[in-house]
Amino acid sequence: MSHAPASPPRARTEVLADGTTVITLGGDWNLQAATPAIAFKGDQVRLVTEQLGDFDSSLPGWIHAHFRQVRRLDLSALPSRLRSLVELAEQSTTTPSPVATGGLLERFGGWGLESSSSWGRAFEHIGDVALGFGRLLIGRARVNWQDFWLQLQTAGVDALPIVALLGFLTGLIMAYVGLIQLRQVGATVYVANLVSLAMTREMGALMTGVIACGRTATSFASQLGSMNVSQETDALRVLGINPVEYLGLPRILAVTLMVPLLSVFATFIGVFGGMIVACAGDLSVSQYLTQVVVAISFRSFLVGFIKSIAFGFIAAWAGCYRGAVAKPSALGVGEAATSAAVLGITLIVISDALFAVIFNLFNF
Amino acid sequence: MATHDILVSEGLAIGHGGNVIMTGIDFRLAPGRILAIVGPSGCGKSTLMRSLSGLDLPLGGRSEVLGHDLAVATATEREGTLRRLGFLFQGSALFSSLTLRENVELPMREFLRAPRREIRALAEYKLALVGLADAMDKMPAEISGGMAKRAGIARAMALDPDLIFLDEPSAGLDPLTSGRLDELILKLRDAFGTTIVLVSHEVPSILRIADFCVYLDPDAGRMGAYGPPRDFLAAGSHAKAHAFFSQAQIS
Repeated sequence: MSHAPASPPRARTEVLADGTTVITLGGDWNLQAATPAIAFKGDQVRLVTEQLGDFDSSLPGWIHAHFRQVRRLDLSALPSRLRSLVELAEQSTTTPSPVATGGLLERFGGWGLESSSSWGRAFEHIGDVALGFGRLLIGRARVNWQDFWLQLQTAGVDALPIVALLGFLTGLIMAYVGLIQLRQVGATVYVANLVSLAMTREMGALMTGVIACGRTATSFASQLGSMNVSQETDALRVLGINPVEYLGLPRILAVTLMVPLLSVFATFIGVFGGMIVACAGDLSVSQYLTQVVVAISFRSFLVGFIKSIAFGFIAAWAGCYRGAVAKPSALGVGEAATSAAVLGITLIVISDALFAVIFNLFNF
Repeated sequence: MATHDILVSEGLAIGHGGNVIMTGIDFRLAPGRILAIVGPSGCGKSTLMRSLSGLDLPLGGRSEVLGHDLAVATATEREGTLRRLGFLFQGSALFSSLTLRENVELPMREFLRAPRREIRALAEYKLALVGLADAMDKMPAEISGGMAKRAGIARAMALDPDLIFLDEPSAGLDPLTSGRLDELILKLRDAFGTTIVLVSHEVPSILRIADFCVYLDPDAGRMGAYGPPRDFLAAGSHAKAHAFFSQAQIS
């Protein structure tokens, strides 16, 4: 089909006495060749061709881009194939909507509105979860119990290896840092107190909470987010099933149950990790264990346990909430997973600080 | 001898995961023609299209697209051939995180060396061709099924392909929109000389636009018939294809 040799695309402009601009098109037009630049005035344009060779959609595309705003466009002199390609696009064209590019103030306002509505949705979701729990207690909630058992497995049992590894290393690092400091005052025996107290009250719960955010919250957000994409949540809604109840409750319940157990596990492993470092240097195993028993009271154990329940709830809720409000696109699901982890970890650290204040107030 | 036909299928066998579901698919299609693949649901129409376009390997026989057998072509030949094909998937398969304009721009940005402004103008033209000039900045989640189909066609046409595969372009559309889509397909063929292969259940639409028709017969597991669709309306043609066409026409 191609004419050889190909000549570059041309467009020549002349203005007639009556004000009509005549554009003469010629040469070979194809998508890989640069299109000619053109400047014209007036709203009366006539297109003609001269030695027009081969052309593909680049020519009608070029005409469409330059002349669609022209009020009186005369295409009658164009070859019929080209004319029909231009007219096919003109038929459906209306004025292009200008791209909205707001000023700084407008964007700031938009950001404010958006973030306030996202807080609103967050509280609404918490409310839905609370109502769901209420209905669960009186036995009226529709919950997917299969999901519950599955999440006990995936968010709980499957997390044991990573929780063990991170708990062990946390205990080990604390003992190492503690030993260096305590050696200076000749109080190395207290490294056992340091590690065991820190693990039970603080680090066991915190580390497990953060792991739950990284592993579980992100997974919930992408699961529920992709269900949004394929309208599965809408399908539940039209069946009269509340998706927060059906999908959210079993997940939140399972994680809120499993994170405390994992946290206890992490605490024990952390204390063990501290023992390895302590006993490799300054202490005997029995010395270390004796100090541990002296240091940990039931009360400090309870502090860690209560916190871990809260952290488990926060991680699971963050995942379910971000998944529920995810935009229905591939990008939206990705954003939901990221923001679930960020939201979860932020809330966990904030609530940890609040717990510290509260427990301090009550001398716990 | 090199053939002049744009699409050739010789004893092609197709299927999923090594299981053959249809054999003996034989036809040749000249450039600028419209071919409809028809048959009862689940008979392998989409699978045939995937095989012809090189998305799946054939399980027997051979096929040639634009003069190349994609099953044995070198990577460069394959890439060059695929670039001259357009494909509209059944679910439109628009990239959900891009606007319609960006969806159409994507193949152009990858394969054309034109400046951004020109690519933008071309994408706008292609979307205007399918009647979506007003919806260019919308996301795929914000538009209707018919609009998604048309946007999918605009993306399939982005690089002026020689051959376009359309998987059920009018499924789920109202008769009016579906009629307009037929008109669009005909106009695009007439204007660009594009060869079009489509899967369709709509007999009136097939009669209106298709030059040739492949009927797949799932009971026999073979291609039932090949010919101009009007031929199947006459008694005495392939019995099942005739039944398919006449029953659908009555309904």
